[in-house]
Amino acid sequence: MSESTPFRAAAAGRPVAISIRNVSQRFGDAGSPNEVVAVDDMSLDVRRGEFVCLLGPSGCGKSTLLNIVGGLFPATDGVVMVGDKPVKGPLPRDISFVFQESTLFPWYTIRENFDVAFKFQNVAKSEWASRTKQALEAVNMGAFIDHYPNQLSVGMRQRVNLARGIALGTDIILMDEPFAALDEQTRMVLGEDLSELLAKTGKTIVFVTHSLAEAVFLSDRIFVMTARPGRIKSIIEVDEPHPRSPDFMLTPKFSELRNQAYALLRDEVRQAIALAREAEAAHA
Amino acid sequence: MNDQANFTTRSIQVAFLAIMAGVWYGLTKTGAVTPLFLPPMDIVYATFMRLVQTGQFWSAVRVTLFTIAQAWIIAVVAGLLVAYLVTRSRHWTAVMEPLIASTFAIPLTLLFPVFILFFGIGPASKVAYAATYGFFPVALITIAGLNSVDERYLRAAKSMGASSFDTFRHVLFPAAFPVILTGLRVSFFISFASVLGGETLSSAAGVGKAISLAAELMEPARMYAWIVFVIITAVSLNFIVSAIENRRREY
Amino acid sequence: MTVAAARVPAASTPSFIGGMSRRAKVIWTRRLVLLGLVVAFEIYARFIGNPRLFSPPSAIVYALFDEILVDPRIRGAIYQAFTEVLVAYVMAIIIGLVVGLSVGWSNFGRRSFYPIVILLYAIPQVILLPLFVLTFGIGPACKIAFGVSHGIFPIIVNVVAGMRNVNALYLRSASSMGASNFDLARHVYFPHMVPSLFAGLRLGMTLTLLGVILAELYVSTGGIGYWTKLYAETFDPAPLFALIAVLAVMAILLNELVRIAERRFTRWRN
Ligand SMILES: Nc1ncnc2c1ncn2[C@@H]1O[C@H](COP(=O)(O)OP(=O)(O)OP(=O)(O)O)[C@@H](O)[C@H]1O
Ligand SMILES: [Mg+2]
Repeated sequence: MSESTPFRAAAAGRPVAISIRNVSQRFGDAGSPNEVVAVDDMSLDVRRGEFVCLLGPSGCGKSTLLNIVGGLFPATDGVVMVGDKPVKGPLPRDISFVFQESTLFPWYTIRENFDVAFKFQNVAKSEWASRTKQALEAVNMGAFIDHYPNQLSVGMRQRVNLARGIALGTDIILMDEPFAALDEQTRMVLGEDLSELLAKTGKTIVFVTHSLAEAVFLSDRIFVMTARPGRIKSIIEVDEPHPRSPDFMLTPKFSELRNQAYALLRDEVRQAIALAREAEAAHA
Repeated sequence: MNDQANFTTRSIQVAFLAIMAGVWYGLTKTGAVTPLFLPPMDIVYATFMRLVQTGQFWSAVRVTLFTIAQAWIIAVVAGLLVAYLVTRSRHWTAVMEPLIASTFAIPLTLLFPVFILFFGIGPASKVAYAATYGFFPVALITIAGLNSVDERYLRAAKSMGASSFDTFRHVLFPAAFPVILTGLRVSFFISFASVLGGETLSSAAGVGKAISLAAELMEPARMYAWIVFVIITAVSLNFIVSAIENRRREY
Repeated sequence: MTVAAARVPAASTPSFIGGMSRRAKVIWTRRLVLLGLVVAFEIYARFIGNPRLFSPPSAIVYALFDEILVDPRIRGAIYQAFTEVLVAYVMAIIIGLVVGLSVGWSNFGRRSFYPIVILLYAIPQVILLPLFVLTFGIGPACKIAFGVSHGIFPIIVNVVAGMRNVNALYLRSASSMGASNFDLARHVYFPHMVPSLFAGLRLGMTLTLLGVILAELYVSTGGIGYWTKLYAETFDPAPLFALIAVLAVMAILLNELVRIAERRFTRWRN
């Protein structure tokens, strides 16, 4: 689908980092009443260094798609290619995840959390300390290295979580509503950090959010999805170089893009709610 | 749903008991164990039927039941009283609760010889011993229950001018009541086991004494008759109590 | 029990009243309460109580050093009880872990196993004590076996409980970073289980002690049981209390040891 969409964004000429081809995902037995088609024949490409957002009503299959891309479970149908490799399982060297809730292990200190992550990923031990330090300093959390996650505020924890995702040093980062639990201000600050990071490191990021402003502020392209079963309804391009300053949010261009996304989403959200009501009625 | 889960639980338990009985039957019928260790079921049953017809049986049961009742009542009254007094202030709760809790972690059975010294081998020493053991769960669980009552209710009551006792009577006690009931249940089963234990260790009468006497006299059939009787009683009591609790929870 | 850890209100908020933090005040009051109990006991035993039944703490301390600790037979009995507790506890942990892990592994195991444990919990184990003596004799084997049979239940139950409800997101996050199955067990399942496991180990220690002491007291032809019976029957309270105090201290130390280990392994919880 994206092949046919001409886009002007800076990433346009770059090689494809993630290629999703005809991916579908069904849960439950086919034909049974509890069969759910979460993702329906999706195809899209993400270019290297691009920041892509998935926007869509709750339950439309965003997390499912992200998990499939990350190799956490296989798709019912279709293939995902990362670079030139088909995804068959987790690719810890190529892809890291930042999840919607803090997934720092509460039983380890921040340092130990980074250490096990490196250990899982088979990073040479000599690099652990410097990479941890560097990543924590990038999010201004260096002072908390020996704290337990529970000793930090939710915002601080998610900053560290973000830093861990970065420290793993993969080219691709998949983020599932990483800022959902944060207050508006912290969210904004982290958003700016992320935009800066993108400009500096050229990482490829696929980002799921429910916040229109966040999507417009961060993305090069926004994929607006339909209610379940999830398909791509439309693609919005945000032609604005990274790093983006908060002033971008005050421009007419920003409001216009935001309104455009809202208009596309509104009907789908309505339909998602109707779907949920139906399901409830069927149950009763 | 709940009923079904309950039914499953009960079925598994009954099935387990049936398997145990089957194992018992198999072991004795095949001669895998000597009747000295485990006499056949039918002999134990016959022994039990004979036992029930003697006055001995009922007098032992009566002594034990009476001892349990006394011990439990003392444990409950003392436990509730201590919990009430201790929770009057946060300071005293903080002082006493860990003290009571860590005492309960010591095997209080160590005090049993002291109670024998004080009260002799009659039922009184068993009452003291079981009441001591039964006191702790009532006190600890009630303290925990009273402490976990939502602070807002207390503030609301105070703002309406309730006295300290009013607050206890109308807010603290009703709010903590379900938890307190748990304490009473735990305390009952601990008192029950403690009386039997005390009687087994050193006693002149009662069910526990009957078991240890049968063992001493090398009368395994009689020992097993008593043991099976106690197990069936304990399990039935447990069924009844948890059935009552489930019923209560539904309201 | 779990209740013990449930709540220690206000102890952690330092507020400086009368030059002392609230926590320090609590600790000092507790020490005063204990001291008061000892003094009251001393006065009662010295001036009011029947000397054939009561012994003042000072006389108990004297008996401890003059009778209990100098007699190699009593020392031997104490040492033997101590060894029995240790052996029984280690066995209870091993058996408890093996059974708990295998039962907790599957939903089926948990669902069919819990009712049986609840059933067994309802049986007052102490009535089986004569049976243990018949089976294992009057030596250490019997006491160890009785201690194990008491200690395993709380360990099994808490291991099974601890294996439930592992946050799926932790698992997913770890596998996305390349964690192997062994990594998952070591870094996710195990730490998740630790708090519950230690609750089980604590209660397991208490019950192992109970089982061993019960068996020791029951077999009164030797060991601790012989001496307590002797002192109780000859109305000699001072050495009786002294001996009990030694065993109580042993119990407290063992409990404390488990607690220290627990604190070390669950620091992250606060
Ligand atoms: N393991 C599963 N088994 C059955 N159904 C599932 C499973 N995982 C997801 N689903 C269903 O698939 C659909 C899509 O779920 P998904 O979590 O991807 O939605 P989402 O777009 O991320 O929603 P949200 O915005 O609320 O996070 C939902 O209807 C959900 O109920
Ligand atoms: Mg989601």
